[in-house]
Amino acid sequence: MTTRSFIPLVLLALLGTVFFALFVGFTPDETLNRTASYYATQTVPETGAQNVVTAIIVTYRGLDTLGEVTVLFLTAAIVGLVLAQSKAPKGRSGSGFLPSGELLTTGTRMLVPVILLFGAYVFANGHLTPGGGFQGGAIVASGLLLMLLADPAERFSHRLISRIESSAGLIYVILGLLGMIFAGGFLDNRILPLGWFGSVFSAGAIPLIYILIGLKVGAEFSSILTSLEDTEDAQ
Amino acid sequence: MMLSQIAMALGFSLILLGLYGALTNRDIIRMIVSFTIASTGVNVVLVSVGYLPGRSAPILDEAVPVAEAATRITDPVPQALVLTAIVIGLGVTALMLAYAYRLFRARGSLDISDFTELKW
Amino acid sequence: MVSPLLILAAGLGAAFILGLLRGTSERPAFYVTIAALAAMSFVALSWVVGLVLGQTQPVEILTAGARPPFAINLFMGGAEAALISVVTLTGLLSAFYMRADLMRLGRRAMAVLLVLIMALSGLILTRDLFNLFVFIELIVIATAGLVLLSKDTRALAAGFKYLIVSQVISILLLVGVIFTYHAHGSLNIDDIAATPMAFTGASLATFLVLIALVLELKPFPANGWALDIYESAHPGFSALFSAASGTAALFAADKLFTAAGPAWLPLATGVGIVTFVGANLLALSQSHDRRLLGYSSVGQIGLVLLVVGQKALLGADFAYVAGGIVISHAVAKAGLFWLSGMVKGRTLSDWAALCQNPALVVAFATFIAMLTGLPPFPAFYAKWVLVHEFAATGQLPMLAIFLIAALIEAGVLFRWFGKAIKHDAQRSLTYHLSRETIVLIAMLAGWGLGWVWGALSDQGNVMTALPLLFALLFLPMDILPARVKNAIAMAGLVVWFVISYQDLDPLRLVFMIIMMLGGAVLFLASFHHQGRRMGFYAPAMIMYAGMALLLEAFTAFQFFAAWEMLTIGSYFLILRGKESEPHALSYILFSLGGAFALLAGFALAAQGQRIFWIEDLSELTGTLAPWVFVLLALGFLTKTAAMGLHIWLPGAHAEAETDVSPMVSGILLKAGLFGLFVLVMEMGHQRLYGVDLTHLLVWLGALSAFIGAVLAAFQEDAKRLLAYSSISQMGYAVFGLALMNHLGWLLAMMFAINHFVYKSMLFLAVGGVKERTHTRLMYQMGGLITLMPLSFVSVLVGIIAMSGVPPLSGFGGRWIFYNAIMSTDLRLPMVLVFMAGPVGFLYLFRLIHTIFLGQPKDNLRQVKEAPFWIILPQMLFVAFLIAFAALPGMILQRVDRYIGTLFGDQPLVWSGRIVNSAYGTWNPVAIWGVIIVVFVTVLGLLIWMNHNAQRVKQFNIVFSAERPFKPQTTHFAWNFFAPYRKAMGFLETPVSTSFWTGVTNALHGTAEFSRKLYTGNGQTYAVHLLLFVIAVYLISMGASS
Repeated sequence: MTTRSFIPLVLLALLGTVFFALFVGFTPDETLNRTASYYATQTVPETGAQNVVTAIIVTYRGLDTLGEVTVLFLTAAIVGLVLAQSKAPKGRSGSGFLPSGELLTTGTRMLVPVILLFGAYVFANGHLTPGGGFQGGAIVASGLLLMLLADPAERFSHRLISRIESSAGLIYVILGLLGMIFAGGFLDNRILPLGWFGSVFSAGAIPLIYILIGLKVGAEFSSILTSLEDTEDAQ
Repeated sequence: MMLSQIAMALGFSLILLGLYGALTNRDIIRMIVSFTIASTGVNVVLVSVGYLPGRSAPILDEAVPVAEAATRITDPVPQALVLTAIVIGLGVTALMLAYAYRLFRARGSLDISDFTELKW
Repeated sequence: MVSPLLILAAGLGAAFILGLLRGTSERPAFYVTIAALAAMSFVALSWVVGLVLGQTQPVEILTAGARPPFAINLFMGGAEAALISVVTLTGLLSAFYMRADLMRLGRRAMAVLLVLIMALSGLILTRDLFNLFVFIELIVIATAGLVLLSKDTRALAAGFKYLIVSQVISILLLVGVIFTYHAHGSLNIDDIAATPMAFTGASLATFLVLIALVLELKPFPANGWALDIYESAHPGFSALFSAASGTAALFAADKLFTAAGPAWLPLATGVGIVTFVGANLLALSQSHDRRLLGYSSVGQIGLVLLVVGQKALLGADFAYVAGGIVISHAVAKAGLFWLSGMVKGRTLSDWAALCQNPALVVAFATFIAMLTGLPPFPAFYAKWVLVHEFAATGQLPMLAIFLIAALIEAGVLFRWFGKAIKHDAQRSLTYHLSRETIVLIAMLAGWGLGWVWGALSDQGNVMTALPLLFALLFLPMDILPARVKNAIAMAGLVVWFVISYQDLDPLRLVFMIIMMLGGAVLFLASFHHQGRRMGFYAPAMIMYAGMALLLEAFTAFQFFAAWEMLTIGSYFLILRGKESEPHALSYILFSLGGAFALLAGFALAAQGQRIFWIEDLSELTGTLAPWVFVLLALGFLTKTAAMGLHIWLPGAHAEAETDVSPMVSGILLKAGLFGLFVLVMEMGHQRLYGVDLTHLLVWLGALSAFIGAVLAAFQEDAKRLLAYSSISQMGYAVFGLALMNHLGWLLAMMFAINHFVYKSMLFLAVGGVKERTHTRLMYQMGGLITLMPLSFVSVLVGIIAMSGVPPLSGFGGRWIFYNAIMSTDLRLPMVLVFMAGPVGFLYLFRLIHTIFLGQPKDNLRQVKEAPFWIILPQMLFVAFLIAFAALPGMILQRVDRYIGTLFGDQPLVWSGRIVNSAYGTWNPVAIWGVIIVVFVTVLGLLIWMNHNAQRVKQFNIVFSAERPFKPQTTHFAWNFFAPYRKAMGFLETPVSTSFWTGVTNALHGTAEFSRKLYTGNGQTYAVHLLLFVIAVYLISMGASS
């Protein structure tokens, strides 16, 4: 064994003892702790959401989520920035690829609308069922990925993608600010009526925000994918 | 051993495994993959901390009435946190890949020990 | 008041708006960016103003309409508002600064910048642990993006290394966060603070969170990645990375250390001190400017971490101390990085290009003074409080390490400054008006902050001291002609004397006369300079301001502030000399070292008292008092250049400009003497391990007097000769002072006056000769008596006075001196001092003999008398010497009476013009009479015999078949005292020089060796990081068990 792999091994063994101490000292909770039981009892009266995790993500820890969306926004912008300098000359891109098979092309045509619809369903129902904006957005982007796989020469409008992304982000921030004016604070979902518990139009602004997040995340993933696509064969 | 402990042990092992890979592989792409393994480990640890034995997911529908929520659901907070952690991990991974692309373009190499002109 | 949330919303909203703009519309995008940053700065500043004026209260901001810990909350208080202002303003200015590159990369880069500033503000505001993590990750990603602004391709690798390390950090942080949540049932920082965890194995979660935040601060040695970024990134971004990111990360770390509880503070202290020492040590061997700045940033952040570790002890002072250092650092470091963008080359001496632009030089000096904690900047006050805290709580090793590291830091920065000022620029500045404006804004901010910190200080505001303000006035006045400024400066000194002399006791009055009126006389010589003479008057006046304030200082703080002021002013002054770069550096280092000894001494004496009066030194008792005495004496002896601490003096005094040499020799040395006077007056005899410390001083004085004289005799360079002679003369004064009796003190006083007069005169005379002959080497001169008769007269009078033969005042000095040593029982040092007298005569003889007598050199046959303005003050001094010799009573009698009141005796009896002591009588007027009669007789005799004399043509002492290897060896005056050198040459062995060189080399060697640690490999850096974590873990577990 060389020293190059020996030193990390020793280090990780020591780090392992730290983790082991954590592991040994860990006893699972018997009951929900203070914070969790607050969410268990107050989520419904305060936010009207069925999915407690969604309520936490969109409302209670909404600032985190705004940051999270910003992380993706930032990543998309930087990936664009990093790869912009190595863009392929126009018209030449995609030429290095063999055409994809009939099966993939046809399958794509059939599946993409369904995937997009499913994505929209997931982010619009985030407050009721497992799922939400991030998951829905990822599904939408996976549709786009499929299209790119089927036709590598296909180009999407960066401008459209970035418009969707930015408007969704901007509206998200404005909704948050409206919460400061019309409700209890930044990103308070009660700027809209809480509605009928368990229905699609309930939980105040949560579905709206999750739709925005879905659009934004979908656009951001798409933007990263197309940026990568633009550069793939610029040798 | 309980489920949450098994999950946690697995998570910690993944972290150590990932870090070992990241510290010993010189290839940048392999390093990035190792880091994703380690972040997955972190996410598993995160979720396992919030698990309460015998309880169900924190979604209040017919199965878990609102009134019984406090005694029936697992801790929702780590689940919310893990989503954020996943997304952030994804962002960093994408960024590292983009960097790897540019580094390869600049030097024609993906060996981390080739990028040491800044030192001392 | 506008909600602080708008800071975040404005940043984010603007970033999203940028996405809606066309890809090609960079200009509107830039305006949107600027508008958003300006709005964010405005909100932050309005909170600062509101909180300071008391119009508003610190506020907790809830989100989502729920109470914490159930929803994320933010907190806006004084510290938050101030730091966010720093962050947003740095962002705004850096955006302007990076305008060209932002436009080149387009709106996406601007969005990244906006998000970075937003995230930094969020990091400061948030009170939620996980939210903190989110903001940290945003900062990491934005940083990795902005590194790409640089055109340097190496930045790409630096960015990647940074990402690798950040991944490791975020893994540790997340594991820590989730287990902290499990332990506390809450993610709210205030909740966590409410139930602090003990420092034991069970609190590993806290450890992981804290260590992750510490790692974000780039602790030494796990920081290679950060240095690479500093080195390769765009300077505008490096400014942000150092000033804004560093500040925000520090605040986040502070938040969590507070929450974790006092048991964890030693962790901050330990990592902080190691980082502060290590980073500054490694910076010593850096030649790349931005990497050096990086090391310096790391060091400063370590220093703040150290202060965070002292949080519990500092109590209410914490914000003042930590804030002072953080904000000083942010402003100075941003300013320096911005400056580095205007310098083309990347080595330290490339900064010489700045000299084309005096305003930028002032800015550079300001930033360096801010970093080294010189008055009147915030870090100065912070350092004062911190050192006093260390002393009061008995953390003496910490105090020592801190001061030594601070000295190393000063060495790093002033070495750089010296290079920038003294080297020739290879390439000119890349000049942009906007960039210069930004740098100057930072400079003004620095001065403004100095005023604010002074106003907040309970010690008094240095910036409101009239002399300092007057001195600073010379900065804008620098565009005036030199002669106008000279007249204003002289007037200033005289006016200050007139308005303040009445409040002084006779002792201080004498020093005041020497420093203010003497200073004014010396300024006469400066009339010789024409043109503008940029950069001369401000430092000179800062030095005089320091001296004026020193004489009126009643508290330890005032004294120390004045001391540092005169040190820094004289440093800039000495640095002006042609070959003075290394000498100025050793001068500032010895002086700051001495100043730190003073600081430590005062801090030990104060023992936590807020205001310590100098006169309370006399009430110190117990085991502490002798140590205070040692430290203070060490500080003052550095300034008087006692043997062992003297190696800075010859170079500094010899290389200084013609009119600067007398200022720093004749006047500045007296500051040290004054300090010693105050010290022995207040503390008297102190015993350490049974040794009377004043006896040590007697020995030191005698040795300095003797060895200084021997060394002076062996010099070839006339100014160096005079410089060594100063060491000897100051030795006499210290000797007299340490005798601790009436006559001894009178002797010291007499030497203070005499030394000022004849040393100023001689330096001016030799300087005048140098102006004409363009050399200081004596063997290259000769026979100048007929060409420069007036200079000859002043040298003649000077050496008569100095050697202590009748009739001039030197004799008075000797007379008192013999009286003084007769009354003491220290025989051996007395013998040494006696022997120093004849040795002194040797070098003085050489001065007049080699320069003025003998045959003139062919190339010097045409030289003229020294310039009028250099001769004029000499003639004034000649007149004064003659008058003072005849009528010493003018001044001495008052001082004598005053010293009598201190000792309660009166060994001298003044009757008319005659002075009587137990050992004899001194009648100056009678002596004059005798001398004149003898002199006139001899002169007449000589004139009468002169017609017999014949002219000597030429001579050559080289015999045939001798092969001189160097041309100067053929001159008879070279190595004039070779026989004595054979006998006493061992004294010339540069023991002190080799000691100090050894210290320096050891430091440099350590730095050179340890920096190899940074291999440049990103993977290795990740290993360092983990190694650091494990090491800290093991050490802290070991320490707590």
